[in-house]
Amino acid sequence: MQARRIGVIHARGLWTFYSFGLFRALRFGLEALVGPVASGMLFLLVFSIAIGGTQDLRGGVTFLQYLAPGIAMFTLIHSAFEMAAFPVIYDKIEGIIQDPLMSPLAPWEVAAGYALTGATVGLMTGGATLMLGWAFVPLPMHDPAVILGFAVAAALLFGMCGTIAGLWAEKWDQLSVVDSFLMLPLAFLSGAFFTVHSVPELGRDLIAMNPVFYAIDGARFGVLGVGDAPLAVGAAVMAALDVAVAVLVWRLFAIGYKIKP
Amino acid sequence: MELKPISGDPPRPRVVGRVNWRGLWTLYMKEVWRFLNVFAQTLAAPLVTALLFFLIFNLALGRAVETAGGVPYPQFLAPGLIMMTLVQNSFANTSSSILIAKVQGNIVDVLMPPLSATELTVGFAMGGVTRGLMVGVAVLIGLLPFAPVEIHDPIAIVYYAFMASLMLSLLGMIGGIWAEKFDHLAAITNFVITPLSFLSGTFYSIQRLPEEWHIAAFVNPFFYMIDGLRYGFIGHADGSIAVGAVLVLAVNAVLMLWTHRMIATGYKLKA
Repeated sequence: MQARRIGVIHARGLWTFYSFGLFRALRFGLEALVGPVASGMLFLLVFSIAIGGTQDLRGGVTFLQYLAPGIAMFTLIHSAFEMAAFPVIYDKIEGIIQDPLMSPLAPWEVAAGYALTGATVGLMTGGATLMLGWAFVPLPMHDPAVILGFAVAAALLFGMCGTIAGLWAEKWDQLSVVDSFLMLPLAFLSGAFFTVHSVPELGRDLIAMNPVFYAIDGARFGVLGVGDAPLAVGAAVMAALDVAVAVLVWRLFAIGYKIKP
Repeated sequence: MELKPISGDPPRPRVVGRVNWRGLWTLYMKEVWRFLNVFAQTLAAPLVTALLFFLIFNLALGRAVETAGGVPYPQFLAPGLIMMTLVQNSFANTSSSILIAKVQGNIVDVLMPPLSATELTVGFAMGGVTRGLMVGVAVLIGLLPFAPVEIHDPIAIVYYAFMASLMLSLLGMIGGIWAEKFDHLAAITNFVITPLSFLSGTFYSIQRLPEEWHIAAFVNPFFYMIDGLRYGFIGHADGSIAVGAVLVLAVNAVLMLWTHRMIATGYKLKA
């Protein structure tokens, strides 16, 4: 009997680890999928009651049309972050992170397994929120390829960020500190809920440094055909951040940051 | 070693009067320290979230909705956000305290001591009330630089803030006793508490709702709590303050009895 040969990419192991993570997340379907979608729809409902849907923004777009893709991306980002961070910290606390570390998976493959789980759940909740929003608000769906591109880039980015946050946090409350004081402010102050044109000059400069802004703005351009920032800039920012964070998360798993003695 | 005979009276069991004041105080302080220990999560995080909500709703609606309830929108929004944060945190405090104690098994530590069902109900509920009121005051102070706050009727503010935090603390106890897993609690929070606290007039005047929904608002205690607290600040109410005052009192009395029965019968608490 010979040892099984593993190529450059341990595809079978990666698939096993990823599908394990995904099934585990989906077992908490009510919390992981329905909860985020419900709260996204709640935001849409609250805004539509508060504002009445009559206000027009630039380019003949109503406020609710502007809002719907913003809320969908907000849901996607937050879901991807949480559903990558939860498994990492859970596995660390329970000690079962040893299982993927001991297996013949390369460090980057372990990182990818966690990040892709979060990204997949984020794409599911974000997609469901967009579809449900579409049922109530007419959306032109200007360019599906752009929507998909930005959605996937954002899901990967925040899946990887969640993986890093999960590695860093030693207790659940440390994760909730990252969530409350970093992720939520970034996600809220990103133009998900308002156009940057309603913000004073200084605020606009700050928002221009927020990666979440580019993710939301790009996807919104794909849905509506109008955006606040040039599409190429947004795409470049997302690609650069995806690469940078991918390298970081790979290095952290390679040196065993907080997971190996 | 020489043994000396014990001199003086032997120790006696402590006499507990009609109310075990010391036990009640100990339980209450345990509940308060429980959330103060993780204040970043229990006090600072809700404050930041409330400030973010204030900011995004003003930025999003600032131009379209200039006034609501006869005052500028920020002034209308502030009391709504105070009440929203207060109810969410009161609920979170008692529900998580009881559920964690149940899951970890240390609920026996409060069931074994000589504390009656009434004392347990009051001790846990007051812990939740304390957190709700502390967060409410923190949000009020946090919003002061951004929204002019005038106090129209301090009695209404204190009454409604206290009643609302008590109501949600009791609901949290019922939820915590009923739930067996954290998913159950998350479901109640996501599908009951958050929607009710969002949709009952926190962000808009209830007059914006379609006609057929008004009746739903007028039997919803969350609407009266938000409306009543807002009346205390801006002097304008969509509903009746007196009806609200009686309704929240009645709901609290019912919830108090219900919680007491659950603890007295040991529902999901005792074998």
